[in-house]
Amino acid sequence: MKDAVRIQQQDFSQDEEIVALRASSKRMGGIATFIGCARDFSEGREVTQLSFDAYGSMAVAEMKRLRDEAIAKFGLLDARIVHRIGVVGAGDQIVFIAAGAEHRAPALQACQWLIDELKQRVPIWKKEITPQGDAWVTPHP
Amino acid sequence: MIKVLFFGPVAERVGNSEVAVDFSAGMRLQDLRAQLQAKYPAAFELVCFAAVDGEQVQDMSLLLAEGNEVVFMSKFSGG
Repeated sequence: MKDAVRIQQQDFSQDEEIVALRASSKRMGGIATFIGCARDFSEGREVTQLSFDAYGSMAVAEMKRLRDEAIAKFGLLDARIVHRIGVVGAGDQIVFIAAGAEHRAPALQACQWLIDELKQRVPIWKKEITPQGDAWVTPHP
Repeated sequence: MIKVLFFGPVAERVGNSEVAVDFSAGMRLQDLRAQLQAKYPAAFELVCFAAVDGEQVQDMSLLLAEGNEVVFMSKFSGG
């Protein structure tokens, strides 16, 4: 089975991730997921691709810490986080988060908390590739 | 030797993703930063965080050791 926390170049399958999450417990009554995708338009410009760079070892360590914190903070039964690096085409998937809990409220809250914290804490950088040239993305709330 | 890594926009402005810096006894993180900032001022305009051996460090007076891996990073933009 694939690790619950990964960074990888290739695309991921939401179905496979959910199967792996559900395999961890039959007490899971609620699963919340988030998929971040590459938009084809940003700041008034057409975007054809995104390119992601990461400090891989620290990124994975921080994502594992986030998962552990979310499990403890929200009482989750399990959680999974997958982030792609390299070049991602417009419309393609970038990041996957799943949180499973006995009930829906902690699953939903944990899912939002995980993506918000990931953006703040995980050393990954995004560049937009446009017909007018490339530009690194400046973070916004 | 200290291995210094750069990623994303900082690497682009440095023109390299890795440089080696000679270690000297008593060298602190702030000394290394000052040395590299003088060499790559445009890149260091973006730098907000530093990490040593994979752990983010707030205390710039941290004493470095031979063989440390140091990273100077801009704000993250993953997700």
